[in-house]
Amino acid sequence: MPNLKELKNRISSVKSTRKITSAMKMVAASKLRRAQELAESSRVYADSLSFILSSLAGNTKNSSDLPEILTGRENSKISLLIINSSDRGLCGGFNSNLFRNAKKWVSDQQEQGKSVKIMTVGKKASSFYKKTDLDIVASFEDLNSNDRQLQVSEEIKNKIIELFENNEIDEVSILFNKFVSAISQEPTYQSLIPLNNEETSEDESEPNNAVFEFEPDKNELLEYLVPRNFLTQIYRSVLESSASEHAARMTSMDNATRNAGDMIDRLTLTYNRTRQAFITKELIEIISGAEAV
Amino acid sequence: MINLKVVSPQKVIFEKEVEMAVLPGAEGDFAAMPNHSPFISSLRPGQMAIMSSNKVDESFFVSGGLVMLKEKVCEVLVDQIEPLSEINSSNYQKSKTYQELDGNDTALSTFEQVINNPIYK
Repeated sequence: MPNLKELKNRISSVKSTRKITSAMKMVAASKLRRAQELAESSRVYADSLSFILSSLAGNTKNSSDLPEILTGRENSKISLLIINSSDRGLCGGFNSNLFRNAKKWVSDQQEQGKSVKIMTVGKKASSFYKKTDLDIVASFEDLNSNDRQLQVSEEIKNKIIELFENNEIDEVSILFNKFVSAISQEPTYQSLIPLNNEETSEDESEPNNAVFEFEPDKNELLEYLVPRNFLTQIYRSVLESSASEHAARMTSMDNATRNAGDMIDRLTLTYNRTRQAFITKELIEIISGAEAV
Repeated sequence: MINLKVVSPQKVIFEKEVEMAVLPGAEGDFAAMPNHSPFISSLRPGQMAIMSSNKVDESFFVSGGLVMLKEKVCEVLVDQIEPLSEINSSNYQKSKTYQELDGNDTALSTFEQVINNPIYK
């Protein structure tokens, strides 16, 4: 027969767990709203920038005129993957989904005969990839405020440009959890080098044939635009990933709260039954004692 | 009227109909007005002015960026922007723009110049 005291302790510990998870859910919900706003409001800039870039690149007839950093190298051998994870856990399958996807990507690349380098964002990715034998070029952690997110994006941008110019990498992709809705996030790849133009031209409803004049000339503009575009795309993926993280935490904490509730119900039932059994047992003892006298 | 849309990496700063906007293009100031030929330019640090009937309505400092001009739309992608109505020579060093430009001497001296002696007033 279960011990009454043990049961009582267990109920109170599950109760405090429920309090914590429900508080975390509430916090995640309010953070999600803010992160979502940020992600949405940064979209305008990113869309305009990629529109400008694609009209600039589309205007140049001969693609060999474009800088390598835009079109990529012909014989690309080394790919870099930037993985956007979270700093903290307790957010369901958010990180493990991402890592599973990344693993597949890495083996795909290796089958194509390319070597892979990794850049991690967030504590979870850096502690996960430390244990693997992959080449980690840089790790960024503590993306806890918007200013810091922008700063990290800037650092990542500088790093990839430096690596590309030193011929240490030929391709760059970024992996992040795309925010679809509060209950669904999907791991998404985006290619930074070479620049993936298809998506932007689909998004723009207006035809891209307006002939723009450029000032200063195209090459100088590209020199300014290409790093800007990296920064914006990286920043956007960081924001998306943070919105997804809060959403994932919200749903998983909601589930945890509900499970804790069910558990408390079950435990309370057992507790009451046990208590009743004790009382009955004692009564029987008293009655049978009295009868014996 | 032309639709002026000012956007920073974080958010849309404002969007409104204006008669004319003067922008510090990389190769000289230019005015964005309706039916201007399609035009893309980068911006140098300087003053952006919104004007109507030859008077400056609003004035801003921009630290650089890009502008895309179409027939009826002028999209300005700025790095940093600071409305000049709220700052003067005594408090501009406290502004967020000043802090973020730290280390960029050309932009800072232009900032100072725009505050003390704006071209369009």
